[in-house]
Amino acid sequence: MSAAAPARRAAALADIAPAATGLACVVAFFAVMEALIRSGLISEYIVPPPSQVIDALGRVVMEEHIVRRFFLTIGECLTTGVMITVFGVAGGVAMHRYKLLQQAVETWVAALAAAPVVLAYPLFMVIFGRNAWTIIMIGFVAALPPVILKTIEGLSGTRKVLINVGRSFNLSGSQQFFKIMLPAALPTIFTGIRLGLIFALINIVGVEFLINYGGLGQLINDLAERYDLPGTYAAICFVILVSVVFFMTLEKIERWLRPAT
Amino acid sequence: MDTPILVAEKLAVRFETAEGPVTAVDDVSFSVRQGEFLSIIGPSGCGKSTVFNVIGGLLSQHQGTVKVAGELIDGPHKSIGMVFQEESTFPWRNVVDNVAFPLELTGMPKQKRIERAEHFIRMVGLDGFEKRYPGELSGGMRQRVSLARTLASEPKILLMDEPFAALDEQTRLLLGDKVLQIQQQLSQTTLLITHNITEAVQMSDRILVMTYRPGRVKRIVDIDLPRPRTSDIVGSEAFGRYVAQIWNDLREEASRGLKDEEAHMLHEARP
Amino acid sequence: MAATGHLTKAPTRSGVSAVTLLRVGLVVGALAIWEGLARSGWLYRDVVPSLLAIAKALVALLTSGEYYFHLGVTVGEIAVALAIGGGCGVVVGLILGGNRFLARAFEIYLYYLGPTPKIIFFPVMIMWFGVGSGSKIALGALSCFFPVALSVAAGMREIDRVLIRVGRSFRADTWQMIAKIYLPAMRHPIINGVRLGLGIALIGTLLAETKLSNKGIGFLIINAYSTFDMPRMYANLIVLFVIAIGANALVGRFGGLDTIRR
Repeated sequence: MSAAAPARRAAALADIAPAATGLACVVAFFAVMEALIRSGLISEYIVPPPSQVIDALGRVVMEEHIVRRFFLTIGECLTTGVMITVFGVAGGVAMHRYKLLQQAVETWVAALAAAPVVLAYPLFMVIFGRNAWTIIMIGFVAALPPVILKTIEGLSGTRKVLINVGRSFNLSGSQQFFKIMLPAALPTIFTGIRLGLIFALINIVGVEFLINYGGLGQLINDLAERYDLPGTYAAICFVILVSVVFFMTLEKIERWLRPAT
Repeated sequence: MDTPILVAEKLAVRFETAEGPVTAVDDVSFSVRQGEFLSIIGPSGCGKSTVFNVIGGLLSQHQGTVKVAGELIDGPHKSIGMVFQEESTFPWRNVVDNVAFPLELTGMPKQKRIERAEHFIRMVGLDGFEKRYPGELSGGMRQRVSLARTLASEPKILLMDEPFAALDEQTRLLLGDKVLQIQQQLSQTTLLITHNITEAVQMSDRILVMTYRPGRVKRIVDIDLPRPRTSDIVGSEAFGRYVAQIWNDLREEASRGLKDEEAHMLHEARP
Repeated sequence: MAATGHLTKAPTRSGVSAVTLLRVGLVVGALAIWEGLARSGWLYRDVVPSLLAIAKALVALLTSGEYYFHLGVTVGEIAVALAIGGGCGVVVGLILGGNRFLARAFEIYLYYLGPTPKIIFFPVMIMWFGVGSGSKIALGALSCFFPVALSVAAGMREIDRVLIRVGRSFRADTWQMIAKIYLPAMRHPIINGVRLGLGIALIGTLLAETKLSNKGIGFLIINAYSTFDMPRMYANLIVLFVIAIGANALVGRFGGLDTIRR
């Protein structure tokens, strides 16, 4: 059918048109900014031209031990990630198993999720000192609630029929748990871990910036205190980029774990 | 009584889908006289909801013309009131505020709006429920609220798309009675889209039977049953004959539709 | 949030439920451990002050006029931040929710830029808005813009389509559609967006205050840290958390008010 081919091509074009327009607008925005700054309409001492920021990005990557900083921050995140997985899943399992505990404490955990934990960073500094442990512990406390809550959700949400299948095979309590409930709950648990990791990264980088210690967050603080304007902008962009890639990676992993959705 | 109030001429609607162009409706023409009750009946997939949207002015991409009292329509016409198939009451407004909605849009002063709304709320038999919210009412009651809301705008033509589809059979029959009563009381010109033969024969002066996609007019049947009608008529012999006749027409179209759907699903089954 | 299954209140003889007993037990136990640590002398001086010291500091805090001045500054900054960031978020959300093309073009940027640490923009905010309240408000606004915009856009797409057709069938004009159909239909996503936005604006504004400020609650906290006045720091944090959790609950309750009618 010769009518179908041009229709398909038109459909494919219509598909990428919005994304292309969006990208084009973003590029155009930076081009306009470049022009405005170079012409002096916007002071280059307040907003450096994008071209300078890109240059600075190269310089920052070369000179500021980006790799070491990056691994420091990621290391903190992963430590937090391991801690929240261990304690979060254990906590969720315990709360699911002991309903009384769940009824008593679940709203507290939810409240903790809504509470601005990171604002207590001065307190953590007093307790742990101005070092990586403060950063990790803040990340841990902030990221723990979603893991616990999602673990409970995943376990409670096991379809009744699957549990009945287990019972029909006379599985013991722990077999039932490890062979049926836990695997069924895994996708939801991973969602919780993903949410936790995102909270963790945001809080970790934030605290690194605030207490001027650590990896990427500290880099921005350093450059800002040196009044290296293009460098500061470049570092901010770099950190945002790392965040975005981190987020996308977690999404991909989650999608891989949940092929049915 | 002689010049028709609604004239649809050679309506045709074509859609672009992933598998190529699809003709939903092809060469549908009919007219409705003032005070008449016309039902459009057809199997699923015959395009009757598409016809509803075209006449209601919500679907502008079509060939053919629709004239209301001689005027070509261009978007929703002020003389046409629509009642939709789905739940359409505003959950955040109580019954009287729901019914007064079209009056609010035209800027009618509050006291007058409320009086007018209460009149139509009584007409559909919901007096006493003015201050209730849709969430507190049953499905049938909510559809009555939607009906009252549309009636409150006093349309010359009432256009309804399977308004009772989601209700159980008994409620449907009783509501059908109510609608008939209202229609007879107001001499309301009504165009009802339905797939329910009993409902169509019970209520209509004429029935337009549509074919399966592409939807065309298969036959127009005059329903010569005495008025005023109630649901008692459902048992009568003449009624049964009309139903059988229309089912005959529909059966052919409905089975074509079924075969088509099955072929489609087989085609899609291999990912 | 997990579904809290069956609430079995097993009354004891005194009529108090087991749940309440457990909660009271946990709280009392935690406080006992705390007091124990405070008196043990294991930890450096005042890292864990005695409960009495904290209570005294709380009273001193809440009875000082100076505290309310700082509280006023912070609340004012958060309110303006929420108004600006939240307001822009609502407008952008309405636009993206209402237009598929624009949504597919731009929403992805909001989605991926949302979960990033905004505090790192603070040096830029100081450059642009100075060291006073302006930079704090700017940071708060930047932080809460994203979640509100995404929330409103998603809310618009979830509106029951038939309600829009009802409006159009009655020939409502654009303003009538927005005021009488879109906004009421979206009241839940909007309230949840505001709730989320409030929490995030609060964090953004306060963190900025702790970094560089001489006013506001954030300043008081970091000030207590730098003078190692631990009881005062705990007191500030306790009041702050109570206010934050309370405000969140209040907005949530307000949003749920009309669920009775639903």
